[in-house]
Amino acid sequence: MMFKNYIKTAWRSLKKNKAFTAINVLGLALGLTACLLIVLYVVDELSFDRYNTKADRIYRVNEDLKLGNNTVNYAVAMPPLAQTLKTDFPDVEDAVRLKRTASHVKKGTENILEYNIAFADPSVFNVFTLPMINGNPATALAEPNSVVITETTAKKYFNSINVVGKTLLMDQANCKVTGVIRDMPKTSHFNFDFLISMSSWPDSKSDKWLRSDYNTYILFRKGADPKKLEARFPQFLRKYSGSEMQTDLNLSVDEFEKGGSYFRMNLTPLTDIHLHANRTGELGSNSTMEYIYIFSAIALFILFIACVNFMNLSTARSSNRAREVGVRKVLGSSRGSLIVQFLTESMLVTLGATLIALAAATLLLPAFNQLAGKEILINSHTYVWLLPVSLIIVLVIGFLAGSYPAFFLSAFQPVDVLKGKLAGGFKGGWLRSFLVVFQFAISIFLIIGTLVIYNQLNYIQNKNLGYDRKQVLIVKKAFELGKSAAAFKQQVKQLPGVADATLSGFLPTEQARSTSIFNKDAGMLDQKNAIFPQTWAVDPDYIKTLGMKMTAGRNFSAQMSTDSSAVVINETAAKFLGFDNPVDKLLYQALDGKHTKVKVYHIIGVVKDFHFNSLRENISPVILRLGEDTGDLSIRVSTSNLPALIAQIKQKWSGLSTSHFEYSFMDQDFDATYRSEQRIGKIFIVFTTLAILIACLGLFGLAAYAAEQRTKEIGIRKVLGANVTVIVSLLSKDFIKLILIAIAISSPLAWYLMHKWLQDFAYRVNIHWYTVAVAGMAAMLIAFITISFQSIKAALANPVKSLKSE
Amino acid sequence: MIKITDLEKFYRTEEVETIALNKLTMEVRKGEFVAIMGPSGCGKSTLLNILGMLDDPDAGSYVFNDIEVAHFNERKRADLRKHNIGFVFQSFNLIDELTVFENVELPLIYTGVAAADRVKRVEPVLDKMQIMHRRNHYPQQLSGGQQQRVAIARAVVNNPKLILADEPTGNLDSSNGNDVMELLTDLNEQGTTIIMVTHSEHDARYSHRIIRLLDGHTVMENIMI
Repeated sequence: MMFKNYIKTAWRSLKKNKAFTAINVLGLALGLTACLLIVLYVVDELSFDRYNTKADRIYRVNEDLKLGNNTVNYAVAMPPLAQTLKTDFPDVEDAVRLKRTASHVKKGTENILEYNIAFADPSVFNVFTLPMINGNPATALAEPNSVVITETTAKKYFNSINVVGKTLLMDQANCKVTGVIRDMPKTSHFNFDFLISMSSWPDSKSDKWLRSDYNTYILFRKGADPKKLEARFPQFLRKYSGSEMQTDLNLSVDEFEKGGSYFRMNLTPLTDIHLHANRTGELGSNSTMEYIYIFSAIALFILFIACVNFMNLSTARSSNRAREVGVRKVLGSSRGSLIVQFLTESMLVTLGATLIALAAATLLLPAFNQLAGKEILINSHTYVWLLPVSLIIVLVIGFLAGSYPAFFLSAFQPVDVLKGKLAGGFKGGWLRSFLVVFQFAISIFLIIGTLVIYNQLNYIQNKNLGYDRKQVLIVKKAFELGKSAAAFKQQVKQLPGVADATLSGFLPTEQARSTSIFNKDAGMLDQKNAIFPQTWAVDPDYIKTLGMKMTAGRNFSAQMSTDSSAVVINETAAKFLGFDNPVDKLLYQALDGKHTKVKVYHIIGVVKDFHFNSLRENISPVILRLGEDTGDLSIRVSTSNLPALIAQIKQKWSGLSTSHFEYSFMDQDFDATYRSEQRIGKIFIVFTTLAILIACLGLFGLAAYAAEQRTKEIGIRKVLGANVTVIVSLLSKDFIKLILIAIAISSPLAWYLMHKWLQDFAYRVNIHWYTVAVAGMAAMLIAFITISFQSIKAALANPVKSLKSE
Repeated sequence: MIKITDLEKFYRTEEVETIALNKLTMEVRKGEFVAIMGPSGCGKSTLLNILGMLDDPDAGSYVFNDIEVAHFNERKRADLRKHNIGFVFQSFNLIDELTVFENVELPLIYTGVAAADRVKRVEPVLDKMQIMHRRNHYPQQLSGGQQQRVAIARAVVNNPKLILADEPTGNLDSSNGNDVMELLTDLNEQGTTIIMVTHSEHDARYSHRIIRLLDGHTVMENIMI
């Protein structure tokens, strides 16, 4: 009964103070919406690969290689590994290999270049949970030239999902569709539209143990201990790769290891791949746990700021409620029931805010998905945890936010209140001051964080990468042209508006990479002086077309026949090799283990270092040699009429090939590499803005109450001759002081943490003192504008009115 | 009904100790209408707060209906208060968020009266105070006189044995003030004991007896009838 009375009073009190209620509910709703979206994001990130019913038993086998000065951590492993592990270790129930590829797939007269294709062992359906709609998962990938496609792909190519038995022409080979599976969940670390039987790929039968090509996953038997298997890896590797090391490198494993090199294997749990793995040869672009922590922290910050608003505004308003408390106490209410009353009110506000937040989050989800590059859905599964979580939020936030006003207000002595002894709830609010400082400390922290992230992203965008990615058009898969590739290049070079063109798939912005071992002398492999560089086959136009700079020696020349054994190395390779003057030095590449056949290369020049990995990593050695790689044709254009030029190039392509003409721009490809960073940056900016907005909303409310509380004082001061400036500064002074304290607290902390974040980048900006200054000034300015809105209003009010009303 | 003996109350700040009540002794019999008068700061509000069990004395005895309450803790006082005493204030002290009916109903809620019974008890009181037609209005929508009638309705709805009125006409014009005094007189005639603090000699004339306080003790008692 009494409860009904509480709700009634609470509701009417909220209704009466519309501005207060709006600030409180909206502020909290805004905070909760942001929080909810982040929670959805985090839950989505944490759910990666958990759709697999055997997820806890699936592990990926990785390879770590150190040779000379180079270390490579592979996500891929040797061709025979999967089968051998299964045979040798009873704990391994099953194993599967995946190998990414790309292929032209024919649809009618069109040849579509598909990138989401993998060769897969038949066991893929036993290890991973990929439900098959049509076809038999046990046999689907047994035969060569079998392909299993996803539902969407089936509809795309056949307009139907009953397509088992039909054929797809993939890179000129007929593949029989043997199964249709459901689309792979977005929360998978790999995402393929086509799975081709591994037996269609001849190399998959290779028995080489010193290679890393296949993403290899093993399924443990129930109860098996992965640690035990990992412990047996060194011996296992010695057994299988030892002899190969002897023949190929002329080294025993002991000698190899004594030279400081190593060749190791380890396991990554399937569910750790998305957030914890960042190796060479990952099947998709993974995220990092760091972002999960950052976002969770932001969510908590925002929620905290919103709660503080609630607490501050409620206590600031306490003087208005004090009389009610007094009357209720006189009429016989106990302190306990008053506490219950205020908590009810606070929970009511939180409930309202939560409902608004749930609706808002649902409405904003599509926009958020776009921002975050996600496909999060709110469905019945989401509600299973979302509703209880919301309920807990209402109870916890309602209690936290309401407890201070509840215990504070209920302690009023009725005599004091009714006698008007309690001047107002605003003064003596040291807790409120503390909370305002904390709020703004967080806001300033977020501003500094945003500025640093923004600067770093900007730096990446504008950094001199050692090549010029602007105005470069890349025609993909030029090898489709076969022997006509060179002719195509010549034809394109003749076109007006084309400055230069080069044939090579090894581009700084592409995935194609190749490594091999080079030695400084002709004799045995000398691990101290050997390097393990990227070895890229290019043509003489490569350096010119990509706008790279030579720092010593000369570029390749088509006129010099001896250049077939010439190499251009980058500065890092020169440093690794220890050459002060590398031009005209020789490099040796063993063609067999005994070093009886050695190919000799002649260094003709040094190219300035250019970035081809993420800027998180240091530049590694690169050796460019002349070759006939026809992966892509990169074209430096010098026209403003791109569409016309592209049409002309396409015409030339169509004259030579029936394959689909695909192209991209190098700067866009570059941006794609940093898309996840840019997304994170954008999300960060959005939520920081929100946090600041919510903090300001609270400050706005507080300033309004401060002004209200001091109406009489302001009136008296005005009567005595104070002008508007004096009054505004009087009202602003207290808040500005708090914000200065907030700046002092948060700047060093933000500087330290952002400094740590930047350490992840091999190439990074410095945090300048003015970044911190700008953040502080911005916070101060925003706060001042917020406060002065209220102070000016109070200062301009007619003192006669305010004095009369007292 | 009320017997206080050697009642003392001090207010202390860091340096000064003010004596609000100085060994005050007085008695109020059942059915009496007593007015307490005196200059500002003479201790009359303090006395009313102690009589209303909103405050406790520092020394002395306070016997209410043969029960010694001077040493009661807040909960016990609140319990005794809500069943026995009704309050009328100068500034009405109605709750702005509640309607006339709900304001009057409030004491019944705190004494645990069932909802149906509450309607049965509130309505006759509203009728008697001639504010039945305003039952669903909020305090701000009423005139001062009407608000004070609501406050009196709230004070009597629990059938208290004692009504304490603190300058009940202080915020009213003379016509509304007279109405309020008539209401209090009626209540008194029906058997309710009334103790009223007032500055107004005119209002005091409605009472049976005037107790004049100065510096915390009785200086004079006038018997009116």
